[in-house]
Amino acid sequence: MATLNLKNINKSFGATQVLFDIDLAINDKEFVVFVGPSGCGKSTLLRIISGLEMATDGQIIIDGDDVSEAHPVERGISMVFQSYALYPHLTVYENIAFPLRVQKKTKEEIHAGVMEAARILKLEERLQFKPGALSGGQRQRVAIGRSIVRKPKIFLFDEPLSNLDAALRGDMRVELSKLHRDLDATMVYVTHDQIEAMTMADRIVVLNGGRVEQFDTPMALYHTPNTKFVASFIGQPSMNFIDAEVTGLNGGLEVTLEGNVPMVLPVDTTDAAVGDRVEVGIRPEHVFYAPGAGVLNITVDILERLGGVSMTYGGVAGCEKFCAALDGEAPISEGHVVPLGVNPEDCHVFTKNGIALKRQKLPALV
Amino acid sequence: MMDRYSLLEKIGLYIAIAIFLTFVLLPFFEMFMTSLRPLDHLRSAPYKFWSDEFSFDAYSNMWVTVPKLGRYIFNGVFIAGAVTVLAMIFVVPAAYAFARFEFKGKAVTLSLFLAVNMFAGAVLLIPLYRVLRTLGLLNTYFAMIIPGAAFLVPMGIWLLKSYLEKIPKELEEAAYVDGASKMYTLRRVMLPLAAPGLVVVGVSVFIGAYAQQYLFAITFNQNSDYMPLPAGVFEFIGYQDVVWNEMMAASLVGVLPVMLIFLFMQRFLIAGLTAGAIKE
Ligand SMILES: Nc1ncnc2c1ncn2[C@@H]1O[C@H](COP(=O)(O)OP(=O)(O)OP(=O)(O)O)[C@@H](O)[C@H]1O
Ligand SMILES: [Mg+2]
Repeated sequence: MATLNLKNINKSFGATQVLFDIDLAINDKEFVVFVGPSGCGKSTLLRIISGLEMATDGQIIIDGDDVSEAHPVERGISMVFQSYALYPHLTVYENIAFPLRVQKKTKEEIHAGVMEAARILKLEERLQFKPGALSGGQRQRVAIGRSIVRKPKIFLFDEPLSNLDAALRGDMRVELSKLHRDLDATMVYVTHDQIEAMTMADRIVVLNGGRVEQFDTPMALYHTPNTKFVASFIGQPSMNFIDAEVTGLNGGLEVTLEGNVPMVLPVDTTDAAVGDRVEVGIRPEHVFYAPGAGVLNITVDILERLGGVSMTYGGVAGCEKFCAALDGEAPISEGHVVPLGVNPEDCHVFTKNGIALKRQKLPALV
Repeated sequence: MMDRYSLLEKIGLYIAIAIFLTFVLLPFFEMFMTSLRPLDHLRSAPYKFWSDEFSFDAYSNMWVTVPKLGRYIFNGVFIAGAVTVLAMIFVVPAAYAFARFEFKGKAVTLSLFLAVNMFAGAVLLIPLYRVLRTLGLLNTYFAMIIPGAAFLVPMGIWLLKSYLEKIPKELEEAAYVDGASKMYTLRRVMLPLAAPGLVVVGVSVFIGAYAQQYLFAITFNQNSDYMPLPAGVFEFIGYQDVVWNEMMAASLVGVLPVMLIFLFMQRFLIAGLTAGAIKE
């Protein structure tokens, strides 16, 4: 059992506040990922959970106990650092054994603990090496090994894969997900790589400027982002936004996109009024090549044929850098104007303040 | 590895090193040659580079000319060693604090230390003399050890501080998260990693102490039992004659223990001990 509740966490360094009123309830055995742009406070929040940093205000509650003032070990957490933070003068064995030695475990207990961690992380062959003689992926595994020997209730990871090459990162991603399943522990994972976030998380916390933008499952973030920030942050390539004006509220939101394109979008219209300026969000993967029935006309600047898809970049009315993921075989070419279609159900609408109007026709998965 | 020099660059490098080494080592070579010459050679022109009269006699005679020579050599090493130990006792915790903690007046104290170093010891000799006299420390080992250490602590702090700052902070944080106490972390993580830095600083302090003890020795100490070698070699200057060859022999023998210490320490100075600690 390990639930983690953050209550109203605020953090300031001197006069600058970096975290604002963070409230989160993380369930037992959940894999939660913090994402957000650089400097948004992900590491700081993780360090506050770990006990390395004290919150200026607010409470940290683990399994119902207020541990705001407790030592990391009493909190039952362990942490894998953004840098590996391995002890370079100690062997892999001693690095992994370090937390057990601190706890004054017997020789046998230490040996058993280290060997088990080494087995899980496939480090048996490397136990007598120093960290300097290991590859990046192996170092990362040693760092993880050091965090699992103590059998903590909550694992904290701060961008553990950010320095590995793409292929290795993919492997480690799978291994970490497996580790989560095998250890049955609660994990909090920081990254600014949204693929890591989408693939590993049970739920994702999107942070922006020290505030929680949204805390939800990956699919919910993708299909029902609460704000324009989340909409543009989640999804690769990013969502396109086109300025529009509300022209009516009958049977959905009637809008006229820049370039005089009328559309009726199935979203909640409670907070909308005729004449409002809004932004319509369209994901690149939701537009398609539509000869004769185009809603948007894109002037193709760059065309990248990737096989399955043709990434098409160019301008449409109201959006100079529009990106469309079209069919791999779409008969289009650079320099031409191409008609694109989009289903109204797939569109997102954001007010001028960046708040989403609730979509009303959602895919079955959400 | 960055050893991609062209042949020309290599030749240039070696020439530069050779010139530098010649400058540094020529005095030692000349000292050695002088120690081998009979005394009357020294004034005879033309300069003889080699002669059959060369001998190692000075190396045995010097112990007779200056009976306390052994004691002086010991004192020199002992005082410099004691200065080093005393200075390091202050340097290590202070450097750690300056490297890791934020506190009021940190920048000011650090620059003050630097300022102190700019005062040559000589400027402070008179006030120091009075202080030591008041404390009753004149003509003791302490008269040379305490001021010696005091003058070297600031330099030691600056050197070690910059070394400690290079040890990633995450290592301490990782140890903290794993439940290690401050002392355990210092003993098992920080000091082993700082070992090369400690040796470098220790060696620098030792050299500084060995070089500066002369000044303190001739001002604060009249007891020949406590004289270090640099002051002791003055006894080779007699009323009529300076026994140059024995003086040079004594000086060379005097540096020998220091040289040996250095050779021994060198193996600790291997670079790259922190390799693999964090991802760069
Ligand atoms: N010790 C500190 N003193 C002052 N400001 C700090 C300190 N630590 C972090 N900050 C500030 O807090 C903000 C959040 O930093 P944090 O390291 O949490 O960002 P992050 O989201 O982890 O970014 P990244 O993705 O680059 O790692 C930044 O603006 C940073 O400058
Ligand atoms: Mg960070």
